[in-house]
Order: sequence, then C-alpha cells, then structure tokens
Amino acid sequence: MSDILTKYNWFALAGGLMTILVIVVSLSTPWWQLTVGDDLLTVNASPINTNMGFLDASFTIPFIFALNIVSILGLLASAIAMLIYSIIPGKSYSIHLLGFGYKKPLYTVLFFIIGLVAITMICQTINLNFPLMGSTISTLPIPFASGITLTVLLSAGFQWSFWLAVIAAALCITARIYHGRVASVP
Amino acid sequence: MDKIRLILTLVTIAIVVIPIVGMLLAHQGNLLGLFIPPEITEIEDIMGGDGGLEPPQIVGEPEYNETTRTFSISFEYTNSFPIDITFNSFAGDIKCSEHHFTLGNASLSESVSIDAGETETLTVLGIWNEDAMGDTGHFKAEHGAEETVDVILADLTVDISGIQIQMDENEMGEMQVPNPTYQG
Repeated sequence: MSDILTKYNWFALAGGLMTILVIVVSLSTPWWQLTVGDDLLTVNASPINTNMGFLDASFTIPFIFALNIVSILGLLASAIAMLIYSIIPGKSYSIHLLGFGYKKPLYTVLFFIIGLVAITMICQTINLNFPLMGSTISTLPIPFASGITLTVLLSAGFQWSFWLAVIAAALCITARIYHGRVASVP
Repeated sequence: MDKIRLILTLVTIAIVVIPIVGMLLAHQGNLLGLFIPPEITEIEDIMGGDGGLEPPQIVGEPEYNETTRTFSISFEYTNSFPIDITFNSFAGDIKCSEHHFTLGNASLSESVSIDAGETETLTVLGIWNEDAMGDTGHFKAEHGAEETVDVILADLTVDISGIQIQMDENEMGEMQVPNPTYQG
C-alpha cells in the first residue's frame, strides 16, 4: 500500500486531470461574470474564454482572444506535463516536468485576479465603478442626451469554474510539496 | 536532462509567442482592431443613431377620477433598440409649472414590454396630495379660476430593463391636467 502511494504522485495526477477539466468547463462557463441591468450587457471573463454580450450579440476583443489561446495552450501543456510526471515521478528529468507543470495553473489564477483588480481600478479613474463581487448601482459617465442621466444595476461574481481552477492550482502545488516523498523512494 | 529543460522552455516560448504574433499578423493593417472589435462600432451606431433613448410622448388628454382623486396619462414610446425591452417602473413628482409646487406623484400602472421596433402605450397613474387639494390647497388657492393647470414631471425615473433613466424637469415638457377643484 505504501509502495503504491509513493510510486506515483497522486496529487499531480489529480492536478493534471483537474486542469484539463478546468479548460473544458471554462470554454462554456466564465470564471467571473458581470451583468448590467436585466441581462442587457454581460461580461464573461476567464483566461480560457472572455467575451461580452450586448443587444443579443456576443463579441470578443481579438487581443484578449489571443491571450485566451495562450492560456489554453499553457494549461494544456501544464496538464500533460503533470500527468506524465505523475506516473514517473522518480526519473531524473521528472523534476523538470513538475517544475514546468505545477506553476501554470497558479499563475493563471493569480494573473486573472490581478487583471480583474487592475481593470476595476482603471475603470474607477473614469468614474465607472463596478464590483468584483456583489451588486452596485452605477451612473454612466457619458449621458446619451443632455438632461438625461443613466444609472444601472451592476451585478458581478466569481462562478464555480473559478473555484475549480483554484482547486486545480492547489492540487498542483500540493503535488510539488508531495514530490519530496516520492522522489526519496529508490 | 538539459534537452528536456530546453524543450520545455521552447514550448513555453512557443505557447506565448505564436498566438500573439499570429493575431498581430492577422490585424497588421488595422492594429486598432486588435483592441476594438467591429461590433463596438455597430453598438455606437445603435446608441448614437436614430433613437433608443427618446423620451416618451404624451398622447391624448389626462383623465381624472374625482372619487379616487387619481388621474391617468398615456404616453407612447417607440422602441428603436434592436431588442425587446421592458418598462419596469416610471415614477416622478408632478409639479405646478408656474409655482413649482408639488401637487402629487405619478407611477406606471403596470410594467410594459415592447418588442424591438414596436410602439406601445404606457399608462401612468397619478394621485394628488393633500397639500394640493381641499379649500386651502394649491389648486384652489392659486388656480381656483382655471379649468386646467400646467404641470411638469420632476425627478422622473424610468426603469427600462434594469437601466434607470433620470430626466430633468424640462425633458418631458409641460402638460395640462384638469383642475380637480374647479367649480366651473
């Protein structure tokens, strides 16, 4: 029993599989969602798929789309490296596979949070306030006509797919910590 | 071992560089298009074009019910957005346009959904307040000899599909309402 526990890195296996699951799920479920009014405008954000919906139309910013492709390929490579490493953790080159794989889910989650906070702060400088979580009423800075002011209910929140990504990142970090136990077995 | 390390480094570089360079090449004639998708221009046309947020127009004459002290005013609104919208609420103060005295308040009788491009009638119900009615009220004291009184809607807030539009007093213009205390 002890042999099978230390022959493979189970946390890396779980982390790799969970990372693949995160990629698949995030294609359709955003990590964070902002809704304006009664679903009049929605912003669906995740490192895998970021898009906006307005007036029944959905669109993506091309540069963000390129960054989404970078994230998908990075996470996919990370997951493959973690899966390969998990079954051969004792090989001399395995530490490189682990080093390549375990950081990417964590960095993806961290950069996503930093990016969201940065965008929130940038928007605040132009008096466009939106919450990271919860609801708020915001006044649009540019009225469409003189004498008319627009205020909208903005609701935002992290979705379950975000927490799945956090779990994947945590499993990958645990795999790195657990590496000491599997690597020490001859 | 160094080969593995080198391969993984090259994979990392390729993963980052190829999509970004590919997107740059795809937009090399229009780098602004990298950050502003064409749909944004279409949305700007819709919002700044022929309409969307036009104030509703008053139709017909206001109707007054002496028993309930309420009156109703009908408005027509054309939805020039390409999507269906719903008027959730419509509320404001009714003020005498001459003295800026608050006579009562107005609210939407029921929420109204308007399909894209369609025109619907919104019925707003109003009720006069105590200070406006009675023998010492504003209607009798200031406009006792007038059959109709010019009023404006102030602090008007309209909720359309979750977006609240607040209008200045002059946006809706003046309208005439029957003087509820007029004896003829």
